[in-house]
Amino acid sequence: MKLIVAKERSFPWFGMDIGGTLVKLVYFEPKDITAEEEQEEVENLKSIRKYLTSNTAYGKTGIRDVHLELKNLTVCGRKGNLHFIRFPSCAMHRFIQMGSEKNFSSLHTTLCATGGGAYKFEEDFRMCMCIEMTIAGCRVDLHGANQPVQINTQLAQLRGGHPKHGAKGSCPNSHPPGMALHIADLQLHKLDELDCLIQGLLYVDSVGFNGQPECYYFENPADPEQCQKKPYCLDNPYPMLLVNIGSGVSVLAVYSKDNYKRVTGTSLGGGTFLGLCCLLTGCETFEEALEMAAKGDSTNVDKLVKDIYGGDYERFGLQGSAVASSFGHMMSKEKRDTTSKEDLARATLVTITNNIGSIARMCALNENIDRVVFVGNFLRINMIAMKVLAYAMDYWSKGQLKALFLEHEGYFGAVGALLELLKMTDDQ
Amino acid sequence: MKKQGREHGSEVQSNRAARGRRLHSALGPRTSPSSRHLLPVFPWFGLDIGGTLVKLVYFEPKDITAEEEEEEVENLKSIRKYLTSNVAYGSTGIRDVHLELKDLTLCGRKGNLHFIRFPTHDMPAFIQMGSQKHFSSLHTTLCATGGGAYKFEQDFRTMGDLQLCKLDELDCLIKGVLYIDSVGFNGHSECYYFENPTDSEKCEKLPFNLENPYPLLLVNIGSGVSILAVYSKDNYKRVTGTSLGGGTFFGLCCLLTGCSTFEEALEMASRGDSTKVDKLVRDIYGGDYERFGLPGWAVASSFGNMVSKEKRESVSKEDLARATLITITNNIGSIARMCALNENINRVVFVGNFLRINTISMRLLAYALDYWSKGQLKALFLEHEGYFGAVGALLELLDTA
Repeated sequence: MKLIVAKERSFPWFGMDIGGTLVKLVYFEPKDITAEEEQEEVENLKSIRKYLTSNTAYGKTGIRDVHLELKNLTVCGRKGNLHFIRFPSCAMHRFIQMGSEKNFSSLHTTLCATGGGAYKFEEDFRMCMCIEMTIAGCRVDLHGANQPVQINTQLAQLRGGHPKHGAKGSCPNSHPPGMALHIADLQLHKLDELDCLIQGLLYVDSVGFNGQPECYYFENPADPEQCQKKPYCLDNPYPMLLVNIGSGVSVLAVYSKDNYKRVTGTSLGGGTFLGLCCLLTGCETFEEALEMAAKGDSTNVDKLVKDIYGGDYERFGLQGSAVASSFGHMMSKEKRDTTSKEDLARATLVTITNNIGSIARMCALNENIDRVVFVGNFLRINMIAMKVLAYAMDYWSKGQLKALFLEHEGYFGAVGALLELLKMTDDQ
Repeated sequence: MKKQGREHGSEVQSNRAARGRRLHSALGPRTSPSSRHLLPVFPWFGLDIGGTLVKLVYFEPKDITAEEEEEEVENLKSIRKYLTSNVAYGSTGIRDVHLELKDLTLCGRKGNLHFIRFPTHDMPAFIQMGSQKHFSSLHTTLCATGGGAYKFEQDFRTMGDLQLCKLDELDCLIKGVLYIDSVGFNGHSECYYFENPTDSEKCEKLPFNLENPYPLLLVNIGSGVSILAVYSKDNYKRVTGTSLGGGTFFGLCCLLTGCSTFEEALEMASRGDSTKVDKLVRDIYGGDYERFGLPGWAVASSFGNMVSKEKRESVSKEDLARATLITITNNIGSIARMCALNENINRVVFVGNFLRINTISMRLLAYALDYWSKGQLKALFLEHEGYFGAVGALLELLDTA
């Protein structure tokens, strides 16, 4: 749909990634606003800017990850800070409504969104952030009139004579015809989540994290005393295996900036961990689940090789401490009665993590890639999982594979969406 | 990565030597009429002591001569009668009568092959029983495989006064599969597949000819899972495994639904709807994720809906059981598919007791393999599911040096 947009790429600059469980939002806060700009700045734009940057929590569930803020970033010639905000996808309707209340669509901006929700919520965006027509200060809402033909018809009617009103909505005031028209609307640009993920990742790694490296790995992951987080230079990233652990998991083989393939995926992801934990332990949040897991012992729950063999299964190099059957002890009533919620949480975490690690390892082997980068919000504040992955990659590959991690974990899709916004030409 | 090790080799050698000594000392009138080989003394057992279940195969000779019968030791006779005249043993032992192989000729002897199982948990009681029946006085060799052959070795020695002949479970698995498939199932095919697996009306179980089996991907789903690439009778490798197996399904089900047997868990699963529990692609995308060929009905996040309190309160135990089954099954299918692709093998045979009376999983595996490989891969199944290790152990007993 052709639009009439403002001459320059107008603020606000957002990138949005609407995932299965979380919505990730990146917001660029310009810090180089001139006095002139400030004066011209529309009221609601200013209020959005102030609302986002002076709070670290929004409503009941929105959170700004202040520690991830990228300061003094230069983006398209503008200097500013990049903010990272998240809220549950189930609050999406509330978010859209808020945007509508704040007249977001009147800002003539394009909203670049990725993730499944960009498709799922497209209609909601369109309907709520409706198309507006401003006639001499009087606003007429044309709900659902998102077809060019309809708009043109309405325009013709409005230009020609007494304003007739479209589908729904009516104007309570009467007013003289033929006044200046401004059409404002919200265009939602849908982008593929994996394209955005890769572009976002490459970008953030290239600009660095306020002078620190974005990428890191763990040395001695199996040794709690000696385990160290160390920076990793991702200057020559290709080829790399990218494992995105969100609600579900996608595994990508990335050969160059524009050449990648989705190798496979698994439905046993972060959503599985949280969902199972909620069921097994009664916890309600990701943070709670991780806290319980930190205090549990999964070997009470899992059947290990030594439980079956009495020791190692030497023939095939399986140590006694390896898990033979996850949750395998839980078929015994006795063991169920002596297991704690914390043990169950730990076992769930270890099971999901090891499964992902195992699949990643198989892919790395087959694609002949030795660096595996793990991203996604399953790893947020999840040191246990990161260490398990680091250890598993190293151990099962006999040191051939390296597990790498990135500080901005689950935000790369949203960053990629923002980058796409900035790439769009002005006269589009 | 895998040690086709020297350790194993020397172990096999010492086992064979031990067996040779025993045969020599237990030389009876039993020689095969058709060869000069010395046969091991009866009873002929093969034992597979797994993580959850013990599988026992017992060869019941039906061609005992009058002379043999007279000479037969009392306890041997009582063992034979006990096993063949019961279908249940104690409170947990079961003989799968429908799997009995009749009129089998093994090493020149004619008889029936019986398939018995009981929980590994009851191993001590089993050993105790053997001891009470003076099993060790029969001077027989007990060939055992599975982890338990190692774990319970000491117990057999001290409680049962028995020296086990320990065998590798994957060696036995393959031997057992090839053997049973070659003798067939009482005239029927041992191997089968499903046509139209997801269509409840049209779904058909059809025989599959496994005469030229190689190469073959063998997926053994017990408590845990092992995946083997089999190139020939003596050449195979363990490609990988996963700890999310039958034990996981069973354990999680017990926790989530309060059930206490495998049968109960399956029964609940058959009545549940996993889509209430799982988050599908369409729940996230509003439809298909076309770019990467993911249909809306595919599961994006197993148990993903359970992050919502509202949804947790609206699902039933049956839904949870179903979701657990689907999740574990799909994960195994996915991993198997990756292995098949990488090993360049297009036939995947699924065995193991996870599939016992588990048509849901078999059909799901059949469908998933076909769908995600765009028809390149075929899922195959075998009637004697979880017993091949035990059969392989029995064969090893009969495989005189």
